[in-house]
Amino acid sequence: MIASLVFLSSGLFLGWSLGANDASNVFGSAVGSRMLRFSTAAVLCSLFVILGAVTAGGAASGGLGELGAVNAIAGSFTTALAAGVTMTWMTRAGLPASTSQAVVGAVVGWNWFSGSITDLSQLSRIAFAWVASPLLAALLAAGLHRLLVAAIRRGRPHLLSLDANLRLGLILAGMFGSYSLGANNIGNVMGVFVNASPFAELTIAGGLHLSGEQQLFLLGAIAIAVGVATYSRRVMLTVGGSLMTLSPVAALVVVLANALVLFVFSSPQLSALAVALGLPPIPLIPVSSSQAVIGAVLGIGLLQGGRGVRQIRWGVLARIASGWITTPLIAALVAFVLLFVVQNVFGQQVFRPVAYQLSPPALVRLAEERLPSERLAMDLQPVVGSVRFRAWLRRQVRLDPAQEAQVLRIAETRPLTIDARGLEALERTSLPAPYREAVAGLEGRSFLHPWQLAEALASRSPLWAPAPDAPRAEAARRAARLALVLDTFSRSPPDRSAQNRGAQNRGAGPVPPTSLRSPGAEG
Amino acid sequence: MSSPLLFGKTHFLEAQIDEFLDKVSEGGIYFQRGMELLLDRGVVPETELKLDQLIQLKERANELRRAVVNTLYSEMLIPDFRGDVLRLLSHLYGLLDATKNVFQELLIEYAAAFEGLETGADVRELVAVVDQSMQAAVRGARAFFRQPEAVRDHINHIRVYESEADAITLRLKKGLFGSALPLESKLLARDALAVIDGLADRAEEISDELSILAIKRVLE
Repeated sequence: MIASLVFLSSGLFLGWSLGANDASNVFGSAVGSRMLRFSTAAVLCSLFVILGAVTAGGAASGGLGELGAVNAIAGSFTTALAAGVTMTWMTRAGLPASTSQAVVGAVVGWNWFSGSITDLSQLSRIAFAWVASPLLAALLAAGLHRLLVAAIRRGRPHLLSLDANLRLGLILAGMFGSYSLGANNIGNVMGVFVNASPFAELTIAGGLHLSGEQQLFLLGAIAIAVGVATYSRRVMLTVGGSLMTLSPVAALVVVLANALVLFVFSSPQLSALAVALGLPPIPLIPVSSSQAVIGAVLGIGLLQGGRGVRQIRWGVLARIASGWITTPLIAALVAFVLLFVVQNVFGQQVFRPVAYQLSPPALVRLAEERLPSERLAMDLQPVVGSVRFRAWLRRQVRLDPAQEAQVLRIAETRPLTIDARGLEALERTSLPAPYREAVAGLEGRSFLHPWQLAEALASRSPLWAPAPDAPRAEAARRAARLALVLDTFSRSPPDRSAQNRGAQNRGAGPVPPTSLRSPGAEG
Repeated sequence: MSSPLLFGKTHFLEAQIDEFLDKVSEGGIYFQRGMELLLDRGVVPETELKLDQLIQLKERANELRRAVVNTLYSEMLIPDFRGDVLRLLSHLYGLLDATKNVFQELLIEYAAAFEGLETGADVRELVAVVDQSMQAAVRGARAFFRQPEAVRDHINHIRVYESEADAITLRLKKGLFGSALPLESKLLARDALAVIDGLADRAEEISDELSILAIKRVLE
């Protein structure tokens, strides 16, 4: 566990950095104008960041996971470290950079290094969100400013009442902004650790369940809170002061627009609503809170017409836009180099190779799912790495991306046998007894593909059966329990020489993958 | 940090500011009434009663100003607004203080200035215009707190009244120095007219301040 925490340190550093810098985007104006004591702002911000991260952080983090599921904790450490190094270097060099973009670049770097597929459609959705978030913030800020000004003109409140309401509004908007920041940006901090999480499901007295992912997010949110408490004061006073030059009403609008943008890009309910309205789904991924703030200020500036347009420093905007490209590229490169160093110099396993094989049961399953199995040859040897398997697959048959993802999911191998030793080990895990009993019922059976185990367990007990309309959290818990069983019964971890051979040679061999999902295979 | 009593305290402060503005406005009315008594009956107990009323008004206004400023600085208002409100209240208090001082000077130093003056109606007109400029300044200040867009109109009124006061003073001075009054009476009356006209100038200073404050408060 201590080793795991050491590996989490780079993510915790990213969390600290986020707390130190981005808390000013939500409470900067309230603290900068001294209408709220820093200690009160820090407590409120920390509390709501933790609440947002633990209760609603999964969606945006999952969006990042669809780009690449880093499946070894040393790899997660190195990926987060690469993002942190890129951010530090770019900030020192005076280049505009955002943690969201650095993390995405680092994940692509991991995909590149591990031979995993980078889902280009997901990457384009992420790039769309980067561009859309400041634009959406500008639109929201312009609309909210108009509405608020009209309401004030209509109500004609006394200056003191207006001031009191603005102060209360800034505090409430700051709390909402902190919640949204936690929900959206926790993916930046802990997203790359989700698939290699060292935490098992935990039940606290009172029946409160905390999944491994939620515990990871709680830890990341605490790191953010530490960043808020230790270093955000100076940033708040600086940024808060500059925001207040806008006018108190505009400052409130900026905080609110930023909070709404972060919320939009982390709410599955809003995304589902968009789909129900016939619109494309909203990509749920971490976006830059600082860039949303800049967009909101821009939106209010543009309301002033020609005068506002003249005041905009277009050069700064161009530099931000250039950061959308340069930051991920640099982060990907840094991640690749660091992964190479950590693997080959420090001898750490930075990824667990995922093997794919079109075994007879896999071919049957493909036929059941109406995929063109007849055009696929049986594969006697597993192919390590999703990129190599996809290349092999494409030589056999042309499929659309969704079909390709389906074939990858079905072909993914994870050979295991349910034996007494594994059942003993399972006793020591946090898996509840009714779930363990279902596993014990499969004693003596062997499985090649994870979906085979999932189906066998579902047939043994309804507890393991997937419910189509189950909430996302329940589905995630079920997936985490299945991953726990897979981890427990997988053959002994591959020795390092085999690992390195796999990495360098990408040779075929029965190397058991750890991840239930193949990286980048979904979406 | 805002407390649960924030809104109760806000309303209390608003009431204090409104009362302060009432006092400044009343100061203008008492000044006008006092001047009428002075011009009609000279320094009589009723005229001195107006001075006492002005002194009491000033003291109450001073108490209110201090209370408002203390509360504003200790627990209310965004700093930008805080400084603006303090400046405005100080200017208005200065106008009330000047009104009391002018009336006091007129009673003590210039009581004889209007004796034998044939243009008493013109002096009354000057005092009325000066009072109007003060009332417009108070209305402008009220608008600053509730309807900043309307401040501009009041500023314009103050400026018009100030110009009118200057024009009446000029006319009075021309008449005064064209008369057969002894020189010392002419000089005494000239100085008395100048201190009365000075109040309109002070009201105009408030209009300048208000124009800047209103620009800062107008929502764009």
